[in-house]
Amino acid sequence: MTNTQKGSLLPAEGGVQKGIIDFVKQALKQEAFDAVLIPSRVPAGDSFAYFLIQSEAVLEGATPLSPVMPVQGARVISSITRRGKGKNRIAVITRPCEARATIELAKLEQVDLENITIITMDCPGVMPLSDYFKDQGKGDKLFEDASQNWNSQPMRPVCQICDKFSAVGGEDLHIGIMGIKSDSVLLIPGSPKGEDILNKVGLSLEEDISAWETTVSKLIEERKKKRNESNQGLKSDIKGIDRLLQAFSTCINCHNCMRVCPICYCRQCHFDSDKMKFSFDDYVTRAEARDGLRIPTDMLLFHIGRMLHMSLSCVSCGMCEDACPMDIPVSQIFTLVGDRNQEAFGYIPGRSVDEPLPLTTFEEEEFLEVEQSYAGVSSRQEDQDD
Amino acid sequence: MTKVLSIEKSAEEGLKELIKFLLENGKVKGVIALRKMGEDGAISYSLITSPNDVESTVPLFPLMPVNFAKQLSRLTLTEAATEPIAVVMRPCELRAFIELVKRTQGSLENILFISSTCGGVYPLKMAVEGNIGEHLPEYWKAVAQGELVPDSRLACQACEYFVPYTADITVSLLGNKGINKATTLFLNTEKGENIVEGVSGKLSEGDLDIATIEQVRSKRKAQKERLSDEVELKNLGIDEITKTFSRCIGCRNCSKVCPACYCHVCFFETETSQHGAVYYERELQKAGCVSMLSDTIFYHLVRLFHVSTSCTACGQCADVCPADIPLWAVSLKMGESVQKTFDYLPGKDMEEGLPITTFLPEEFAGIV
Repeated sequence: MTNTQKGSLLPAEGGVQKGIIDFVKQALKQEAFDAVLIPSRVPAGDSFAYFLIQSEAVLEGATPLSPVMPVQGARVISSITRRGKGKNRIAVITRPCEARATIELAKLEQVDLENITIITMDCPGVMPLSDYFKDQGKGDKLFEDASQNWNSQPMRPVCQICDKFSAVGGEDLHIGIMGIKSDSVLLIPGSPKGEDILNKVGLSLEEDISAWETTVSKLIEERKKKRNESNQGLKSDIKGIDRLLQAFSTCINCHNCMRVCPICYCRQCHFDSDKMKFSFDDYVTRAEARDGLRIPTDMLLFHIGRMLHMSLSCVSCGMCEDACPMDIPVSQIFTLVGDRNQEAFGYIPGRSVDEPLPLTTFEEEEFLEVEQSYAGVSSRQEDQDD
Repeated sequence: MTKVLSIEKSAEEGLKELIKFLLENGKVKGVIALRKMGEDGAISYSLITSPNDVESTVPLFPLMPVNFAKQLSRLTLTEAATEPIAVVMRPCELRAFIELVKRTQGSLENILFISSTCGGVYPLKMAVEGNIGEHLPEYWKAVAQGELVPDSRLACQACEYFVPYTADITVSLLGNKGINKATTLFLNTEKGENIVEGVSGKLSEGDLDIATIEQVRSKRKAQKERLSDEVELKNLGIDEITKTFSRCIGCRNCSKVCPACYCHVCFFETETSQHGAVYYERELQKAGCVSMLSDTIFYHLVRLFHVSTSCTACGQCADVCPADIPLWAVSLKMGESVQKTFDYLPGKDMEEGLPITTFLPEEFAGIV
């Protein structure tokens, strides 16, 4: 899980969030980093956003465990570092799926990690935006109760089946919350950067982390089972082109799933390009070739294209589903596809920045079974031709 | 007086008969209308070329999955239609398309426009919940009576421009008590008159009933007042703007579905507006903190500024907002005030120049 077997126990009498904020303040004071990127309530109070903060007073109002994820953190980190790192060393307090997407973006050269320290925490999940915005007061309460009991029921559907809600390996420092004795959190470094912060704050690595590991592992097993069941159920719903088309039948082609996706980083999507604009006659020809042409056109092609492009790096954060005006279970579908593709390559997105992207790696002896079946198909084809 | 064709079938069936006639007799190459798709009957616009496919169309279904002006722009931008195509769209979609053509984003060539006096549409959310079907009897009852349709899109409840301006053929729906028995088609143009030649129906002359139209308009006006009170956007000052957009997630989906937002690359997606470390560090130094969603209000103001003369208040922006911001009210308010200033109604008349591209030496003397 992490490369250290020991952690530091940090008092958190005022609750987990307060404990994290106090730790960040301390680290800022000790110049472990120069600024912190952390979710906070917006001034109007009805939502949350990432804020880059130096001021201690502003930090007081931060909400590392905000009930919603209006923007995926990886996109935020990319917007700061895509054109190159800044002068400040920035610590990012973020959820595991945001950290993983960040690492994927680093591999895709959309994030510069040199001056970034990634700090994650055990994540209770986030609520769907629409549920939260219906009644923020109620949402705050619901989230607080649910997160304390690790009840994922009010959270995004993909949060409910998330098996990577804790340290995954790519983070510099992880904050363990589960199974820790009350009024404290556990700090577990995952890299020299993380250890350095603990050193500067004067925390030594003396705490045994096995109780935390056991609790986390137990939930991981439960979630894996649930995820598998969910994937199996969904698979029968969307298997085959007809059923897949049915799953996306209400899609209005707004492409908002793509726009909020941390992995979809293309400046110009092929589907929005001039390549996908045709003459009226072309559309008429297509309409004539079958029983009419659905407009907007190329709806399913877009989703399949996107799947092909990002499913190996998909971290199942659920942004796409939250941003879909038609409530299509986009994220659940992409989770199913992502899981299968990632498993085929033995790849876990965001586990390690040193692990190359599967499609950029060539292995001579890979997917022989695919080659084999293809060979079979072509020889059968030849038989037929004869 | 306008030529009127009456078909003895309910409004939607009569319109379908007309469409079928047009396709069967080669008067048009294709028809674009709403259609029930697939097993679950999801509603989508569709281009059909065979009379056999008319049966599955639902040209008057009260849903706007996309503002079709944006799609028709896409379809006619590269190359216009070379053969006649009939398109059934709502008055606000038609107006939005006229605006796009003025901006050279589409072509009117070979298009026959069929529209209706519009009762409005239901919010996309209702399509998600899948219960529009249950609402249909209530919808058609309200439309026939010329009443506001309960639970319809708020933008539609507040819409005063429910009579199409540039349609070749207008189906009379609002306040037309006979829509269950007969389809009344106003043939507004020569094109409209000529194309229906041979349809079995009764031809006469007449006009839309002005009194009925005015009654509906006053109901909509009153509702508009009520609704803008509810969303607290009476004055649209900076405080209200800040409060309204505070929960924006910056996805810009409002611009993606907006027919007036036609830029192929939005300024806010260009390199110029991608700030990077230097900018954020400078801001950080100023105040000790910087919001990473800081440009959202700037974006909305610029968007409002850009679309205000052409906004037809279709409400698509509000329907697709993941944060449920009442964007329809903001756009309506902004559009109304700017359009009034220029005495311009978007999409009313193809010949009327866009206010921003028109120079009058004696304009806004007070400001100058």
